[in-house]
Amino acid sequence: MNAVLRAPRYAGIGLVWAWRLTFGALFPTTCKYEPSCSEYAIQAVRRHGLAKGGALAGWRLLRCNPWSHGGHDPVR
Amino acid sequence: MIAAFLTATIPVFSQLEDVMRHVLNFFHTNVGLTWAWSIVATTVVVRMILVPLTIRQIHSMQSLQLHAPEMKRIQQKYKHDRQKQNEELMKFYRENKINPAASCLPMLLQLPVFIALYYTLKHFNTNFHVAKNADLSFLHFIPSIADGTTAHWGGYVLLVVYVGSQMASGLFMAPTAQKSQRMIFMIMPLVFVFVIARFPAGLVLYWVTTNLWTVGQGLITRRLVQKTPAPSPERRSSRTPPKDDGAAGNGAVADGPEPKPAPAAAATGQPRQVRRKKKKSSGRR
Repeated sequence: MNAVLRAPRYAGIGLVWAWRLTFGALFPTTCKYEPSCSEYAIQAVRRHGLAKGGALAGWRLLRCNPWSHGGHDPVR
Repeated sequence: MIAAFLTATIPVFSQLEDVMRHVLNFFHTNVGLTWAWSIVATTVVVRMILVPLTIRQIHSMQSLQLHAPEMKRIQQKYKHDRQKQNEELMKFYRENKINPAASCLPMLLQLPVFIALYYTLKHFNTNFHVAKNADLSFLHFIPSIADGTTAHWGGYVLLVVYVGSQMASGLFMAPTAQKSQRMIFMIMPLVFVFVIARFPAGLVLYWVTTNLWTVGQGLITRRLVQKTPAPSPERRSSRTPPKDDGAAGNGAVADGPEPKPAPAAAATGQPRQVRRKKKKSSGRR
C-alpha cells in the first residue's frame, strides 16, 4: 500500500507506543485480555486503518473494565 | 515524546482544562483551601470516585491469592513463551471464574485528569489571575506549585518522595507480578523522574498524592484480604449440578468429577460437605 496512505496507521501505532513507554510503564497492571489492549490497538490499526482500528481499540478499552471477564479476544 | 503527545491533543483537552479549573477554583474559593491543597483535594476526590473499582479489586485479589500457587506453576511452565503463558493464565482465570483486577479503563481514566491538571498549571497565572503575593506554596517547602519542579530545592524533595511513592504503589498494584516485571516497576520511576522534573510542581504533587492513596489503599486491602476468608471461586450449594467441565484441560488442579454425595446426607437435608475444598487446600500447601 502507498506509504502516504499508511501514514495515519503509523501515527496511531506511534501513539500506542508513546503510551506504553510513559504511563503504561508506570502503572503496573497487566491487561485482563489476550492480546492486551495496547497490542490489540496496534493490530487493529494495522489491519483496519486508523479510523476503524481506533474505534475497535476504543471499544476494547471500554470492555476492559472491572466488571468484564477478560480472556482471549483477538482482532477480527 | 510526551510533549508531542500533549500538543497533538490540545483541542480535546482544553475542555478538560475548563473542568479542572472550575474544580480547583471551587476548592480554593468555596472551601477555602490553598491552591496546593486544592490539588490534593481534587486528587482525593478523583480517587474516591474510583473506590467502587477498588472494592472489585479486593474481591479479585482474594481469589487471586487463593489460586496463587497454581498460577505460579503456569508461569513457571511457560517461562519462555510469554504469549502462551498469558493464554494459559487467561484460560485458568476463566475456568476458575477469577476476574483479574487489572483492567485498562480505570488506568486510562486517570490520564485525562493528569493532562487537564498539566494545562491548568501551565496557564495558572492567566487562568486564575492570582495576585503576585498569592499563596501558592505547599507545606513551606514548595514556594510555588505553578513553577517548574526543579526551580527550588523543595522540588527535589518532592521528586524523591515521588520516586519512593511510585515504587511503593507499584508493589501494591502488582502483588502477583513476576520478578522481572517488578524490576521494571522499580526502575521506571527512576527513568520517569527526569521527565516529571520538567513539569510544574503541582503536577508532581498530584502524582505523589495519588501514589500515596494507592499505597494506603493497598495497606487496607491487604489487611482486609488477610482477615476475611477468601470466598470459594464458585459458590456451590447442594442444588448446583455437579461440575462437568472440571476435567477438561485443567491438569494443574487435580480435581476430578465430584464424588456423589452420600444418600444419607441428601435424605436428611443436611448441607452437603464440600470435600473438594479440603482436597484443594491440602494440595495448595
